[in-house]
Amino acid sequence: MKNQGAPMRHPRGAVVTLPRWAGDLTVKLLLVFLTLLFLLPLYWMFSGSMKLQSITMSVPPEFFPEKPTLANWTKLLNGSWPIWAWLRNSVLVSLLTCFFVVTISSMAGFAFGTKKFAGAGILFFLLLATMFLPPQVMFIPLFLWVRTLHLTDSQLGVYFAMALPMIASPFGIFLVKQFASGIPKSIIEAATIDGASERQAFMKIGLPLLKPALATLAIFTFNASWNNFMWQSILSNERVNFTIPVGVSYIARTPAFGKSVNDIGLMMAGGSFGALFMVLFFVLFQGYFVKGITSGSVKE
Amino acid sequence: MKRRRGRATRFSWAPYVLIAPGYVAFLGLILVPLAYSIYLSFFNASFNLSAKSFVGLGQYFLLFDDPVFQQALLNTFRYVIIVVPAAIVISLGLALMMERFGPRLQGLFRGAFYLPTVAGGVILSIVWIWLFNPTYGLLNYGLGRLGIKPVLWLAEASTSYISVCIVMLTYTIGQPIILFLSGLAGIPQDILDAATVDGVNAWQRIFLIKVPCIRPVMLFVLATLTIQIFQSWETVFMLTQGGPNNSSTSLVFLIYQTAFISSRFGKAAAIGVVLTTIIMIVTMFQIRLWKEQE
Repeated sequence: MKNQGAPMRHPRGAVVTLPRWAGDLTVKLLLVFLTLLFLLPLYWMFSGSMKLQSITMSVPPEFFPEKPTLANWTKLLNGSWPIWAWLRNSVLVSLLTCFFVVTISSMAGFAFGTKKFAGAGILFFLLLATMFLPPQVMFIPLFLWVRTLHLTDSQLGVYFAMALPMIASPFGIFLVKQFASGIPKSIIEAATIDGASERQAFMKIGLPLLKPALATLAIFTFNASWNNFMWQSILSNERVNFTIPVGVSYIARTPAFGKSVNDIGLMMAGGSFGALFMVLFFVLFQGYFVKGITSGSVKE
Repeated sequence: MKRRRGRATRFSWAPYVLIAPGYVAFLGLILVPLAYSIYLSFFNASFNLSAKSFVGLGQYFLLFDDPVFQQALLNTFRYVIIVVPAAIVISLGLALMMERFGPRLQGLFRGAFYLPTVAGGVILSIVWIWLFNPTYGLLNYGLGRLGIKPVLWLAEASTSYISVCIVMLTYTIGQPIILFLSGLAGIPQDILDAATVDGVNAWQRIFLIKVPCIRPVMLFVLATLTIQIFQSWETVFMLTQGGPNNSSTSLVFLIYQTAFISSRFGKAAAIGVVLTTIIMIVTMFQIRLWKEQE
């Protein structure tokens, strides 16, 4: 929107009286206000993690913690909850998911995007058609199979089982295909004429060119896997197997010892701990998130 | 020698080899489980799968007579009808406001509104449990200052539903804002200039020029949000467990309860099949949109 000097004319001839800069300023201030309001719950969670139980239940509430305390954080990080194991579980499950999704999607996406082959149309359509299927429907048989195979008996098996449903990623293949379609055919043809095998064409030419799309996909998958709450919670049969979201939600739903109410400060410390990693992750990779979101909708 | 033969026939195994891992995962983790879920929906089945008993379509007849299922189905549609339009209006409004800022500030605002989405519904619900508390929650305190009597939020059937909607909204508008901003940035400048010359006012500029220009983005957002809200459950799980009295339960929450709490896998699979059917219809609409653009 470019600034115009002259006041705008209403079609019926009346001059809009508010100067343009004033209207602009009002809108901008309103947006700043709305943003702060929107971030209030996250602020409330974080500041709440530094309040004593009595303060968290006081009316009127304390907007800025007057006597900030780290008691909740020490209880969370050194307390009776194996929170560091949860963190390790979350990281490992997400990395494992990323590894599978990126490998599989880069291969299939490259093939769908750069090659013409019999059946490509229908094979790709099938993927698209199942892209938005509710994963919970697949969880029912997968859960029964994982149990029958006793996959969750070993630690490694738990990680693999937790990553399992997300390994099939029609979205990943779609994303890479969108990107691979943009690779000029001549580049790949030139390489094959120069004697490169199909394998080399993919490894030496395809992969480097696909790098931005694969980075986007990896970051997206990591976040999605981290927040894959339902599957992780139905698989975690023991506390040490929890992931971060499963664990902190468990804390939030468990009343404090000897009391009928929840330990709010501890709940907020847990929530903040859980939010922290994804927020940092997002701040670091914001550009990739934006790319991943927009590449699915509009062709650029 | 080998290479020449390959080129002469022009048939290559390479693309099939490349898509093989993807398709194995797709078959094993999506298609076969989906088929098995459909199969299971004709049985009464608990953990011991060998002891399952065939009931045919009976499961579905029972389902549609089940008041809890009816409530969940109705609620899920209500979630979609309330949250999707609200999310679209709010995110479009915010995107139009953000547009006035330079790219750097735009990025900052965009990031701020996307933060709850990356944090996830589970984490957000943790703080909302506290915010919704009738006696010491911030929300009732704020309302009290405005002279409004305390609301029971999660504890009452009439409000639990709205409470869940509010939390859902906080983590669903981040993505549409990003899409709308990129759509708005793609409107050719000469169209906007021509409008200014024609003396169009600010509102007409938005509703007669900008909104029609980003129609494809709007439809995409509509479809993805609809699919997303049809599948929502974590806020229900965290805030209300479907209650009180099933007033806030959703289809996916009911699947979770039926399968993983009550171990009635056949019934849960039948609910899943109903949900899948609804989502397939929306997906077909979505795919047609993609085809239109190509």
